[in-house]
Amino acid sequence: MSAASDIRKRKELLELMTGLGATMVRAGRRLLSSLPALFGVLVFTFLLMRVLPGDPAVFFASGPNAGKEEIEQIRKQMGLNKSVPEQLVFYLSDIGHGNLGRSMMTGQPVLKDLRERLPASLELTFTALLIALVAAVPLGVLAALRPGSLVDHGVRMFCALGVCVPTFVSGLLLIYVFYYLLGFAPDPTGRIDVFTSLPPQRTGFLSIDFLLAGDIDGWWAACKQLILPAVSMALFVIAPLARITRASMLVSLGSDFVRTARSVGLSWRKVVVTYALRNAILPVITIAGIVFSTMLGANVLVEKVFSWPGVASYALDALLSSDYAPVQGFVLLMASVFVLVNLIVDICYGIADPRVSIE
Amino acid sequence: MIARAPLRRSAPSGLAHNLLLSHHALLAFLSKSWGNRMRFASFRLASCVVATAALLLVANAPAQAQTRAETLRYVTGASVNTLDPNIPGSTRESFALSMSTYDRLVAFGRKQLNGKWVFDLDKITGELAESYDVSPDGLKLTFRLRKDAKFQDGSPVTAEDVKWSLDRCVTAPILGKAQLLTGSLTSADQFKVIDPVTIEVTLPKPDKLALPNLATVYPMIINSKVAKEHATTDDPWATAWLKEHAAGSGAYVVETFKPGEQVILKRSEDWNRGSPDKPAFFKRVIVQSVPEPATRANLVERGDADLVLDLQASDVQSLEAKGKLKVVSTPQYNAITFVSMNNQIPPFDNVNVRRAIAFALPYDDMFKAALFGRGSPLFGATWPDGKPLTGIYPFQAPVKIDLDKAREYLKAAGLPEGFSTTFSFNVGQASTAEPMAALVKESLAKIGIKVDIQKLPDAQMSTQINEKKLPLFTEGIVAWLPSTDYFYRNFYTGNQRWNYSSINNPELAAIAQEARFEPDKAKYEEDGRKLNAIHFSEMPQIPLWQPNQDAVMASSIEGYTYEFHRQVDYRDVSRK
Repeated sequence: MSAASDIRKRKELLELMTGLGATMVRAGRRLLSSLPALFGVLVFTFLLMRVLPGDPAVFFASGPNAGKEEIEQIRKQMGLNKSVPEQLVFYLSDIGHGNLGRSMMTGQPVLKDLRERLPASLELTFTALLIALVAAVPLGVLAALRPGSLVDHGVRMFCALGVCVPTFVSGLLLIYVFYYLLGFAPDPTGRIDVFTSLPPQRTGFLSIDFLLAGDIDGWWAACKQLILPAVSMALFVIAPLARITRASMLVSLGSDFVRTARSVGLSWRKVVVTYALRNAILPVITIAGIVFSTMLGANVLVEKVFSWPGVASYALDALLSSDYAPVQGFVLLMASVFVLVNLIVDICYGIADPRVSIE
Repeated sequence: MIARAPLRRSAPSGLAHNLLLSHHALLAFLSKSWGNRMRFASFRLASCVVATAALLLVANAPAQAQTRAETLRYVTGASVNTLDPNIPGSTRESFALSMSTYDRLVAFGRKQLNGKWVFDLDKITGELAESYDVSPDGLKLTFRLRKDAKFQDGSPVTAEDVKWSLDRCVTAPILGKAQLLTGSLTSADQFKVIDPVTIEVTLPKPDKLALPNLATVYPMIINSKVAKEHATTDDPWATAWLKEHAAGSGAYVVETFKPGEQVILKRSEDWNRGSPDKPAFFKRVIVQSVPEPATRANLVERGDADLVLDLQASDVQSLEAKGKLKVVSTPQYNAITFVSMNNQIPPFDNVNVRRAIAFALPYDDMFKAALFGRGSPLFGATWPDGKPLTGIYPFQAPVKIDLDKAREYLKAAGLPEGFSTTFSFNVGQASTAEPMAALVKESLAKIGIKVDIQKLPDAQMSTQINEKKLPLFTEGIVAWLPSTDYFYRNFYTGNQRWNYSSINNPELAAIAQEARFEPDKAKYEEDGRKLNAIHFSEMPQIPLWQPNQDAVMASSIEGYTYEFHRQVDYRDVSRK
């Protein structure tokens, strides 16, 4: 008996291993196939930035007495005195050496800026997405269980409200209520209260770094800063997630296996959560992946309103001042994130539904 | 290190506890029923976040630290991008920061203007210099250094350091070069070390602006021993290193510098160049970038920030009306906002067209719509005998909206039917320029001029201005050393970027050049009147107003002074 269960366990483990191996191979292949696309994005952004009107050298030489000489000097410093093809070759070779150039705006290497700011954006986006998922999936399920009921309409209205209020409006409203009027929230200025000392940097995610440093007060301070921006971002994406959960749950609830499960008298929980939701979750994962990538790049308004030192507001500032290197670095980063997120979504598919194998 | 507030950890109330428990239960339920494979680590994170959301509802605002009263928290929409203001591309906040981290030989005094403290171009006091002499012929400036002056690393400030710093300013490819040129300081040979505490500056001509130039942002005194250690053969003046590090003798030491986010300064206890020979008041200064103006207004109103300069005019007005905060509105007397025409592009090459525009602008409406009336108007004067009342630039001109007169001028220009043109402004100025543009368009339409409004990104606007391509636009200018000849030489002569109107008037250029070295005050005034008269009759551009700088601060903050760089000098302010 124990031998039999042992063999079964080993068999299961073997299956799991081969399944994992196949997933990895698939992931690697997908990663490789996305390289040409990344290269295309690189060259396209490079050219686009040069086609846009506006000479960054003139903009940055706007000190009270900057004249022609200063402009020429900045042009040289930015490498703009060379022809565009030459610039492209230099740029590509720099990228090959892991150098994304230097930002005129902050005076720092772009790689350093992005490395410092990406964790801020990721932390915010992850939190927002989690809040959104935690709110949207139950809402979608509830709506699907009683289509056409008051609950369904309530959820629909909530979603419509969330979508039609732009994030910066909801952000400003939240600040007004929770910071200005009630004083519950800390001042909306970045990731951490200025009077709190920072933990040693390990992951760049403050909420994790504080925990690693064992500083619970600091962790609490960081979480408080995070909550309002994350909620205002989450409000905006609850709608697509809840709607897709509802639609997909409706299909799943109407299918044969749920009817069978009901008819054999399985518990409500087993029917709805184990069978219906599990089978309805695939499209939700897809949408969550897309929503995540979009949020990361498009949350510039939230970042601005909450002075969040993230990558999106960095890129916007750079774009307004025609600071080429940061914009190019940002687009490259976003393209890579898209590739990665798609990959993770694929892997999640495999986990959620082992039958799926996307080639 | 920053002292943290004594902590305020109240136990979560019953409500929060229940919320917490219920969320945990829900999560446990979800993760169990989704099976083992779905149990990601992220669930734990999720539960943290949800718990935080619940707790947030009951947690209170943090109690302020003990050191809060000794800390100045200044919030701004811009950011500091370098510790050396000489680096091309450095921001105004970087200029202001360097005033506190570095000393200069001399500094501007301050005076009261309509009850507000402003910098005084005519009163120059010693900063690192204990005293200075100007030779009778005005060609030699001798500075004696304070014997107790020390750099922040403890080493004494010597004449060698001063020479190295000034040499750097006129030789290295940095911003200081072009600025010092306006004070006839162009070569390292002009700076001579006499003894360890005395330095002599020689001038080719008795230039009035030489001394004031040494008080501006760029000729800061750097610890040459430290800087030289970080110089390389490619970079003999250590520009790369000084961008990230401060090596000065200033009132504040840079504690943390995060470009684009915040800078934290610590008081240097040795520094005694303040007025009553004491260190600066605040022990710590936090300069923080907060891009959203509404958030800055909230911060200062809630008392979390102490001082802010760049609020929207509407916010300033409502904060002032509430009366809780101190609002110091100073007309920026070294700045001008104008509508400029390109004097080389038809039809604006015709002086009558320019005059027509000058009499067709709805000044009062624009002033109210753009600035809520917060500033000094440069329109609506009356000149009884048709001559300028003053030799000071900027002056208030006798222009007002008079559409009949405008139509006459258009007729005289041979364009009675009007014409089409564009009116441009940059995105950065949209909050004031946008309402203005709409009024300009509406009013010019009445005399037959059809205006297309162009809102340009900042970089694009500066490029177009540099290439002299915009026919009609609005911009603002500032002069650090606001003397009449300086304004005219820099903004109304030569084929260069800052000559916005591209005016080419030999008489104006000659008088401005002559006035530069005019030692006699009465004659200088006379030259100024002549220049102003030419400006009015040629109408190269239409000065509109000098916007106020609205400094909004906690009622406990005192000593705020409007400085030439238009930012806060942290050494000026204290808390009552």
